[in-house]
Amino acid sequence: MKVINIALLGHKDHGKSTLIGSLLMRTGAATKVRMQEAETYSKKLHKRFEPAFILDSFSEERENEMTIDTTRAEIKHKDLAFALIDVPGHEELIKNMISGASYGEIALLLVSAKKGEGIKDQTKRHLFIARMLGINKLIVAVNKMDLAGYSKETFDNIKKGLMTFIEKIGFSKENVNFVPISAYKGENLVKKSSNMKWYKGNALLEALYANAKSEEEKKEGPLRIIVQGALDAENKLVAGKIVSGSLKTGEKLVFEPIGEEAIAKDITVKGKKVKNAEVGENVALALSNKINSELRGTVISSINDKPRITDSLKSLIFVTGKIGNKLMIKFNGIDIGCKWIKISNVLNTVTGEKEKSTKPRFLEAVNAEILISRKIPVENYDVTRELGRFILYSGGAFCGIGIVNAI
Amino acid sequence: MIEQDLKALEEKSIYIIREAKLKFKNIAALWSMGKDSTTMLALARKAFLGKIPFPVIHIDNGIDFPETYKFRQDLAKKWNFKVIVGYSEIKPDLVGSACCGKNKPETLKKIMKEYGFDALIVSIRRDEHGIRAKERYMSPRDEQFRWNYKNQPAELWDDYSSKMEVKGHVRVHPLLDWNEIDVWNYIKQEHIPVNPLYFSRNGYRYRSLGCTHCTIPLKSNAKNVDDIIKELQTTKVEERSGRSMDKEREYVMARLRSLGYM
Repeated sequence: MKVINIALLGHKDHGKSTLIGSLLMRTGAATKVRMQEAETYSKKLHKRFEPAFILDSFSEERENEMTIDTTRAEIKHKDLAFALIDVPGHEELIKNMISGASYGEIALLLVSAKKGEGIKDQTKRHLFIARMLGINKLIVAVNKMDLAGYSKETFDNIKKGLMTFIEKIGFSKENVNFVPISAYKGENLVKKSSNMKWYKGNALLEALYANAKSEEEKKEGPLRIIVQGALDAENKLVAGKIVSGSLKTGEKLVFEPIGEEAIAKDITVKGKKVKNAEVGENVALALSNKINSELRGTVISSINDKPRITDSLKSLIFVTGKIGNKLMIKFNGIDIGCKWIKISNVLNTVTGEKEKSTKPRFLEAVNAEILISRKIPVENYDVTRELGRFILYSGGAFCGIGIVNAI
Repeated sequence: MIEQDLKALEEKSIYIIREAKLKFKNIAALWSMGKDSTTMLALARKAFLGKIPFPVIHIDNGIDFPETYKFRQDLAKKWNFKVIVGYSEIKPDLVGSACCGKNKPETLKKIMKEYGFDALIVSIRRDEHGIRAKERYMSPRDEQFRWNYKNQPAELWDDYSSKMEVKGHVRVHPLLDWNEIDVWNYIKQEHIPVNPLYFSRNGYRYRSLGCTHCTIPLKSNAKNVDDIIKELQTTKVEERSGRSMDKEREYVMARLRSLGYM
């Protein structure tokens, strides 16, 4: 069964973990033991049954009623499985939120309709991050409708309040759906709720399904293989993952940035020799000649269509920590030092507006250019994701993620 | 139980196993002779063209099942890989989770030190337990084997944690995405040998294998791999319900894992 990764988004306490727990229960995906265990713990804490405890397994998460780290659980609907990726909503846990969201193909944003909750900064910031990570499809679940009198007006106001921002950061209208739900009570999750007859759209599961089925056009890019390293001592047998294009035996290849060439004599995929290999496959290539330089982190392409080699990364960076001394990036499994970073402006992740300031702030983004200590093969993130993204460290501490938007 | 696309799972696991081998200097894998770690070895053979290019460690407390010992001997010979056996002593005053949380990790610590391993492949899966579901694909442990689960490193895309944040070693989890039924579907597809204890005898079979002291068989008539897959498609019984340590306290697994339990 094909699995679609769904990244949950939203402010703390707007019901991300509760929604997943509730979906697991209502689709029969939660095992009896997990349910009983969540129930026992709810009682122990003198609370009503808390579906979030099916996901939140650390005692600290349960006692403080907050998700600390990301996890995922699957449900199925018709011929698809959805891996629901839970993430923490708390600002200080943004590192864990990004770790989970980076695997998402569709975003599922929770906004609480309860009075005093509604659209928060973190609601918008999570949307910004999802969009930056390249997620194009979005479902907004307006939650806690039971605590808002199932009011159509409240639902419409949230929709109106968010739609401008959603379009501003680059989602296109036709890829966005709004669904009014009660995660706790299970309304409009699997079945339509009789309490919200004014809502004419799909229940959440069906909305996810329709969204997942609307395939985006896949473009056939040029061959790009990210090399993990050599499998032999001679540097003639190379392991890597095809992230774009396809490959056939006998093809003449070039390794960048080192510029060495070789012919793929044999291709092995999953232990079997094949004539062709496709995008997504992990290959082992027996080469016509040995490669004289370090292979890890190099990129294989056809000699006629090579990626650009550069040491300058013009990027959008989401700031997760202090950008200070000893800057380095992690890029396709290798660590590379940075010579300098020039920030042209801050991009406010809550308003979507550029600011004059060039001083990076926690949880905001910056447009910047980074000069790294050596040249690497790079492409814009929207061309080949794997060659256009990096993780930024300062003094060994995680301080940002970047996507390359101009080379 | 949700049956996932095996091809996608397989590609990701092969990628992670290769990353482990090519990123770290000196790796090993834990092998309990159970279905998961044996499946991982089958994946490693695919990743490295038929060879398993790292030693596998069995922490042996002397009370594993006789079938398990025989399986160890037979498969190591058939697939030609190196087994490091670490003998761990059973202390009569340590039972259940205290035993698993202390004896085995102590032995493993000695082995890790003796051989200088910097990464260890462990075949845990998210669907086994809520705590395991919180793991990263690559998860650092400090020198005392502690898991700092309250502050795990960022892990994005396919760029897994490097060693720069830790002094101890990194646990690598290539099977994290797999469900129990996926493992059995893969065993069927690839004809992977399994420990005979998984198959029903006199109306009982083992669903999850530990040592003789902590594992009890569950009621089942599944006599072969096909039967097991059929059973899992409909069962409501938890995989680890025959493992006593999981039940002592709700979050005992967190304690075990932070102590270094495998």
